[in-house]
Amino acid sequence: MDAALAITIGGLVQGSVFALVAIGFALVYRVTGTVNLAQGAFVVLGALTTYSFEQTLGWPAALAALAALAVAAIIGYLVAVCIFAPGLRRLPPSGMVMLTGGLLTLFEGAALLVWGSQPYQLPPFSGYQPVAIGGAKIPTQAFWDVGITAVVVVALWYVLQRTTFGKALRACAENPSAATLMGIDVERVRVFSYTAAAVLGALSGIAIGPVVSLQFDGGRFFTVYGFISVAIGGMGSFAGALLGGLGLGVLQQLGAAYVSSIFATTLAIALLIVTLVSRPNGLFGRGARREDNRAAAAHPIGVRTRIAPRTARIAFIAAAAVVALLPVFVGGGALSSLSIAGIVFIAVMGLDVLMGFAGQISLGHAAFVAIGGYGAAIATVRYGFPPLAGIAIGLVASLACAVVLSLITVRLRGIYMALATLAFGLLVDSLAVGLSELTGGPSGLTGVPHFSVGGYTFADARSNYYLVWGIALVVFVLLANVLRSDFGRALRAIRTDQTAALALGIDVPRYKLYAFLISAACASLAGSLYAYYFQFLSPDMVSTPRSLEYVTMLVIGGEGSLAGPLLGVLLLVILPTAIQPLNQAKTLFAGVVLVGGLLLLPQGILGVITAAIARKPARAAVHSTPPGSVPT
Amino acid sequence: MTAQPVHGDGAALAIRGLRKAFGGVVAIDDVSFDVPAGTLTALIGPNGAGKSTLFNLLTNLYRTDAGTVTFFGTPLAGKTSDAIARLGLVRTFQTARVFPGMTVLENVLAGMHVSARSPIWAHAFADARARREERTMTRRAEALLDAIGLSAMRDRDATALPLGSQKLVELARAVIARPRVLLLDEPAAGLNDAETAQLARLLVAIHRSGTTVFVVEHNMSLVMGIADNVLVLDAGKLIASGSPADIQANAAVIEAYVGRATAVPT
Ligand SMILES: Nc1ncnc2c1ncn2[C@@H]1O[C@H](COP(=O)(O)OP(=O)(O)O)[C@@H](O)[C@H]1O
Ligand SMILES: [Mg+2]
Repeated sequence: MDAALAITIGGLVQGSVFALVAIGFALVYRVTGTVNLAQGAFVVLGALTTYSFEQTLGWPAALAALAALAVAAIIGYLVAVCIFAPGLRRLPPSGMVMLTGGLLTLFEGAALLVWGSQPYQLPPFSGYQPVAIGGAKIPTQAFWDVGITAVVVVALWYVLQRTTFGKALRACAENPSAATLMGIDVERVRVFSYTAAAVLGALSGIAIGPVVSLQFDGGRFFTVYGFISVAIGGMGSFAGALLGGLGLGVLQQLGAAYVSSIFATTLAIALLIVTLVSRPNGLFGRGARREDNRAAAAHPIGVRTRIAPRTARIAFIAAAAVVALLPVFVGGGALSSLSIAGIVFIAVMGLDVLMGFAGQISLGHAAFVAIGGYGAAIATVRYGFPPLAGIAIGLVASLACAVVLSLITVRLRGIYMALATLAFGLLVDSLAVGLSELTGGPSGLTGVPHFSVGGYTFADARSNYYLVWGIALVVFVLLANVLRSDFGRALRAIRTDQTAALALGIDVPRYKLYAFLISAACASLAGSLYAYYFQFLSPDMVSTPRSLEYVTMLVIGGEGSLAGPLLGVLLLVILPTAIQPLNQAKTLFAGVVLVGGLLLLPQGILGVITAAIARKPARAAVHSTPPGSVPT
Repeated sequence: MTAQPVHGDGAALAIRGLRKAFGGVVAIDDVSFDVPAGTLTALIGPNGAGKSTLFNLLTNLYRTDAGTVTFFGTPLAGKTSDAIARLGLVRTFQTARVFPGMTVLENVLAGMHVSARSPIWAHAFADARARREERTMTRRAEALLDAIGLSAMRDRDATALPLGSQKLVELARAVIARPRVLLLDEPAAGLNDAETAQLARLLVAIHRSGTTVFVVEHNMSLVMGIADNVLVLDAGKLIASGSPADIQANAAVIEAYVGRATAVPT
């Protein structure tokens, strides 16, 4: 009984912190319609800056905490003004999800440089001596954390209901254009709410810092749990965020204590997927903003100018020749990173079919890489299948998952689709760690054989290079052929105007499913090759942060053209290995590239190149014909 | 239960008791009529009369509150919009909806989706028949662009064209699907006089080639010159139908326009 009480109280403590993060989410969502995936980053920022002020500089705890809140406010404000607000002006809601995902990566990368990769824990606010209540020993920090959340909730309620600023904020949330007409500076309210959310995030970090230890990439965890809380409670509802956070905290602790922590995580994510699909407004109603239900959620990012077929053919032959000849000139580490680039290229081409052509954002692409990778690794290591069969097993599993996911998300659009894929990715992450009997758990699965077929084993670096790039080339050609045809036009039509596509007889759900299947197949193939290449697979090689990396490569390279992924992969895989300082700051670099790419270069590098080619005076092929009969 | 009027085999579209309300606004109020096969039928009416809503109901982009639509005898209830297009009922929109990021040629090619037969794997492996089909489609699209004077724009992004040309591209995209019935929502809106004259020739040519054309149009001189049949919708109700001459003489029609819209039909 006492144990149950202690666990429940532990759950409430954790839940009160989830609730704080969730309230930050709800604030930003209500005022801007954006799901701010960077919210968790401020939790880590708050905890680690407090640690530095308190432990390294020796400041008193209260001063250190206040200084950390001030730092979070300044950084939050700068991010809001320089990145978030410009993003809102330029990007559709789905683009904003990617932008904030990029911000999360950027923060992780920066934190890694400042604090390194070791975990930090803050001392409790009032000593380590617990208080005994009815036989259960309760740490004093529990009272602090629940108390802080209660104070924040009351203060927020007061500001929203009783002050002019609160009224302005609510007006912006209900109807931004009407608010503008009423003389409210909408931009200022947006910047303020983002900054306030940053401070709330930092406050949660200071509150949880003594309870759990945090490291540079801990933000993901809070983003995910804060988001699950707010999505279950009801996007944009403060009461829902509070209840969702507390409920999730208790559920998590009870599940972890009585079943297993993997069960608790899986349950939480499953709950999220069910909520997203069945009640996108959350369990407590209040919620989804009107514009999220817009019929045509076009997403105007990507390569606009196409390459002329002849130029494309010449470029393709030149690139193929370079790929074929490179091993003559390079070896060792360079050859190995080129091989990895080839594998990633296959995965990102698949993502391009889904995002760049069909316009469906996926933040869970790595999940299919994981399924293909683990499918192949488990089939060969645990059951002794030959490598080729391993690839086939991975493909079948990936396609089956893609069909199921696509069936349950068929009605979702825009950000909800992006979030459902994110949730799916998280689910696969937790299974990869949790099903340790099969997957080897967090430390990974060793002893995966090299790829071999018909008695030939691809054992050395050079043969692996040719294997990977040979497959990449075949995938490229097959996809290029398909995307150039009626099929590709149907996907591109769906991307920009689903209603017009329907009116032309294009079966939109079916074509989305096809795009999803193709992308899953490419990812799965890449995953299998990954496992054979490294002869090893661990969860972090194929987890959700990789999904964001794939998105980054696609966006910066140029969506909507198969050459874009190649440029993105070269930039993010090859460049950091070639330039050492960049390797140190790889995560930061990826974050900066995604954020910068979305804001400054939405057409990607390829888009810039093709636009430059198109601007050169082209041969004029004008042969006008007078209107005549209709030859149809 | 009211008796359903029997519709002859001649009806391309038979609409019975159609109704649609948005909240309190009844946009289509118990409307029944036929579009006889092979005709060029025009639908006129002041702004907000419910004409676009009617088209959205015919193509199931909106859910009907009551009533039925049959297309050459096939009830359209429960069919998806894309299935309706594949049956041969293809439409354009009041504001041109060409696909951004696709060239003029690609936009027109997208209209041939309904007749594309090659499966995806045939395209992937560059199967000879699939390539031949693509080439044939491209040739047809180019010929049509030639005929409407847009060949020079072939490789331009469709949204970079002037609005009048975008409407022509959208029309070409619908026509090339070889629909049995073509629904056009204000095709002349935003066109200059020369373009309107070209559009009129085009509509007549499409109609002569055997397509039933059902067109919403504000430009009276255009409608009166080419339509066999005119229907008048006002505030969601069908208030008149007949030959262009009948309609021009009809007091109720004149009242609807003079009473509500500033433009008097000429
Ligand atoms: N999606 C919609 N939601 C609410 N009201 C609509 C919608 N579509 C049309 N309406 C209303 O229905 C009426 C008819 O509109 P519409 O069919 O566009 O007229 P028309 O095309 O004849 O100008 C108008 O009052 C319009 O405001
Ligand atoms: Mg209209």
